[in-house]
Amino acid sequence: MTMQAWMMRRVLVVAGWLFAAMVGVSVQSAAQTPGLYTRWINYTPANGFPTGEVFCVTVDGARVWAGTSHGLVMLEGGRVKKVFTQEDGLAGRAVMSVAVDKESGDVWVGTFGGLSRYSGGKFTNYTNMTSGLANDLVYGVAVQGQSVWVATGAGVNRLDTRTGSWSIFNETNAPFAEPWGYGISVAKEKIYFAVWGGGVLSYDLATQAWKPFTDPDGEMELVLYRNQGLIHNIVSSVSYNEETKTFWASTYFGLSGYDGRNWHNYLTKDSGLASNFINAVHSRGDEVWASTQGGLSELDTRTNTWVSYRRDAKTGRGEILVTHADGSKERIATETSVAHTYILNTDFQGDDIWVATAQGLSHGMRAVRKEQGK
Amino acid sequence: MGLLCVAGASGVHPQTAVTERAAEAVTMPYANMPPVAEPYGGFRKPYQQWLVEPNTLEYDGAARSEADGDVAALKTIKLGFLGPLDAVNEDSPYGIAMLHGAQMAVEEANAKGGYRGKPFELKVHDDLPLWGASSMALVAMRFEDEDWAMLGSVDSSSTHIELRVTLKLELPIMDTATNDPTVTETGIPWLMHNFPDDRQQGYALADYIFLQQHLKRIGILQVNNRYGRAGKEIFVDTARRMGHQPVVEVWYAAGSRDFSAQLKTIEASGVDGLVIWGNAAQAGMILKQMRAMGMQQPVFGSSRICAPEVATIAGAAAEGLVTISAIDPTRTDARWQEFRQRFVARFNTEPDAYAAYAYDGETLMIGAIEKAGLNRGRIMDALREYEMKEYAGVSGNAHFDYTLNNIAPVTFAQVRDGKFVYWPEQRTDWKTKSVAYAH
Repeated sequence: MTMQAWMMRRVLVVAGWLFAAMVGVSVQSAAQTPGLYTRWINYTPANGFPTGEVFCVTVDGARVWAGTSHGLVMLEGGRVKKVFTQEDGLAGRAVMSVAVDKESGDVWVGTFGGLSRYSGGKFTNYTNMTSGLANDLVYGVAVQGQSVWVATGAGVNRLDTRTGSWSIFNETNAPFAEPWGYGISVAKEKIYFAVWGGGVLSYDLATQAWKPFTDPDGEMELVLYRNQGLIHNIVSSVSYNEETKTFWASTYFGLSGYDGRNWHNYLTKDSGLASNFINAVHSRGDEVWASTQGGLSELDTRTNTWVSYRRDAKTGRGEILVTHADGSKERIATETSVAHTYILNTDFQGDDIWVATAQGLSHGMRAVRKEQGK
Repeated sequence: MGLLCVAGASGVHPQTAVTERAAEAVTMPYANMPPVAEPYGGFRKPYQQWLVEPNTLEYDGAARSEADGDVAALKTIKLGFLGPLDAVNEDSPYGIAMLHGAQMAVEEANAKGGYRGKPFELKVHDDLPLWGASSMALVAMRFEDEDWAMLGSVDSSSTHIELRVTLKLELPIMDTATNDPTVTETGIPWLMHNFPDDRQQGYALADYIFLQQHLKRIGILQVNNRYGRAGKEIFVDTARRMGHQPVVEVWYAAGSRDFSAQLKTIEASGVDGLVIWGNAAQAGMILKQMRAMGMQQPVFGSSRICAPEVATIAGAAAEGLVTISAIDPTRTDARWQEFRQRFVARFNTEPDAYAAYAYDGETLMIGAIEKAGLNRGRIMDALREYEMKEYAGVSGNAHFDYTLNNIAPVTFAQVRDGKFVYWPEQRTDWKTKSVAYAH
C-alpha cells in the first residue's frame, strides 16, 4: 500500500467513526451493520469514459475491465488506459460480459456481435457464421479450466480452448425450458447457468448431468409461497458462493438463494431490497449484492441486514438505506454516490467494489467495516 | 469525504426472514382473468401477485436524460420494422400485411408534415425463420439505423429476443402481432403490445365451448412450433380449472398435409369437440380430412385460422367452424370503413388484422414521438401513459393494462355459407364476478 493510499484509508477510518458517532447508531446495531461504502469515484464521459452506459465490470488484479455500449474499457491505476472498439477488432460495439483466464491472461469478451478473445494484444473473434457459437448475442462468458462457457441468445456453448472444439447445449439436449442463456457462474464441481425464462440450470462437470431449478408455481404473474423454490423463471444472473455453498439467482421478480436444502427468497416488501427488478447478483463471504434497477443492495446473510445505495438525482449525493433484521431502518446521506441508481453489475477488488451503472462506472470504498470487527 | 445527514430508525419494516403474508389487496384481475381460471384460486391467495398494480413497468434508468436527437441535423426520423417478409417463411402473409399497415401509418403521418417537417422513414428488416437468425436486427436498428423506436415481430421467439436486447439498448418496441402473453409478462418496460394474446383467446374459447356450448370432452390439435405450443396453454389450463381437462392433445409438424394419424387418435378418444391451434391452411386440410373420416364434432380455432384460406381449402367442411378473430372486418363504423378504403386504394387488397394492428401500433408510436420528442426514454414514457386506458384504433377499442398489453374483449367468427360472420365476445359466468378496475 502506498503512503497516499494508506493516508486515504486512515481518513476513511476516522470519517467512519465520526459517521457512527453522528448517526447515533447503537453499539448493537453498529456491530450488525455491514461496513458502508461511503466514498465513491465515478468514471463517466467527463473523465475519459466513452459513454455512460456500462453493462458489466470485471476485476483483473490491478486492472479493471468495463463493458459499455461503446466498447471495452481497460482501467489501470484508477485511470482509463484504453478503450477498445470494433476498429480495434472487438466483435461488437455493446459489451455485455468479460471473463479473464487467470492461467493464460486471456480476456474473453461477450458482445452483441459475437465472442472476442483478447490475447497478446490482439482480438480473435468467434461468431455464429465463423465458429460453433450458437448465437451472436453473447450475454455471459466464464472460464473454467481449459473451457470457456458462453451464454448466448440461442443456447449455451462450451469452447475447448486446447482443441478448439465447440459444444452447444440448448432445448434439444439439455433441460432448457427456453434456450436463452444469460449468465454463468463457475463452481468447483458445477457450472450454473441463468436461463432467461427457464430458471437456473446446473451442469455437473464429473457426471455431465444437468439439473434444472424452476419456479414451482409455474406462473408468471404470482409467487405462491415466499420460500417456495426459485422465485421466478426470468433469471438474469446467477452467482455461486463456495463459502456458503449457496447459489443466488437474480430475477426481474425478486432474489432467490438456494443452499442445497432451503430456499431464501426476497422481495422489496419483505426485505431491504431496492427493487424487485434485478439485473445481476454477486455473492461472496456473507454478502449478497443485487444490482437492481432501483439501486445497489447488499444482504449480509450473517446478520440479515440490508444496505441499499442510491443516488439522489437532484443533488448527486448518495443515499444509504440500512434495514436491520428487526425491521428498523436508518437513512444516511453521503457526499459522493454511485454514478446512477440503475445498477447493472458489480465486482470486487479486495474490499473495494466496482459498480456498472446506467451512467458510469463507480468505484466504492468502505469506511467503517474494519473498526466494527466484521 | 463528507457525511451529511441522518434520519433515525423508523422500526416499521416487517420481519425479514420469518413471516409470510398474503398479497396486498389486488385491485383488478390480471389480464381480465375469469375467477375460475385463477391459478391456485381455490387453494390459497398467492404470497405475491405481479402485473396488477401501477408502476408494474418500473424504470429508474438513464434513457430520459440522454441528449435529444437534433432534428435539424436529421434527414428523416427513422423507425425500425422487423417482420417475416420472405416468401419462404410461412408467416410472411402476416408480415407483409403488417408492413403494409405500418407503411400506411408512416405515409399518412408524412402527408401531415412528419415530425417537425422531417419525414418518418421505415427501416425494414426481414425476420428470418431460423431460430435466432434475426437476433441482431435490433442491434442494427439501434446502432446502425439509429431508429427511435421499432415495430415487430410476428414470431414470439424473435420478439422475446428483441425484448432482451432492448433491455440493454433501450429502443421502444411496438408489438402488433404476437399472441404469446409472456411477451408482456417480463417486467421489461420497453414494449407495448396491442394484438389479442393467447390469454384473451384462451379465456374466451373456454367460456364459449364449456359454458355456452356445454361441451365436455375436448381434444387439442396444435402445430408443433412456439405458436402452437405456447398458444394452447392458457386454454388448456382454463379448461382444466373448469373441470374439463382436454382428453387428448396431439400435434403436427408445420407444413404437414396429412393429418390422418392425429385424427384417428382424436377420434378414438371420444371427443365431443376439437380445438385447433395453428394456421389457416392446415386447419382447412384438417377439417376436410376430418369430415371425410366421418368425424362431425364441432371445431374451434385460434385467431390465425380466421382467414378466407380455411374455407377455400376446406370447402363445405369448414361450415360451422368457430374461431377467435383479432378483428371484426365487417364493422361499419367510419373509423374502420375509411381505413379500409384508404388501404385498398394504396395496396389493392383488403386489410386484415395484422395490417390493422400494425397501423394502430405505428400510429401510436408516431404519436408518442410527436409528444415526447426524439428521446427514447420519453417516447416510452408517452406510450406508458396508456396504462389502464383505452385507445380507439382502426382495429377496434384497445384497453391497455399495467403491462401495456391490450386486454380488450376479443371477437368470435363462424363460417356460415362459406363466409365468416362475426360477433363480440360475450363471457358468461365470470362477467358478473369480475372485479372492477381501479381506474
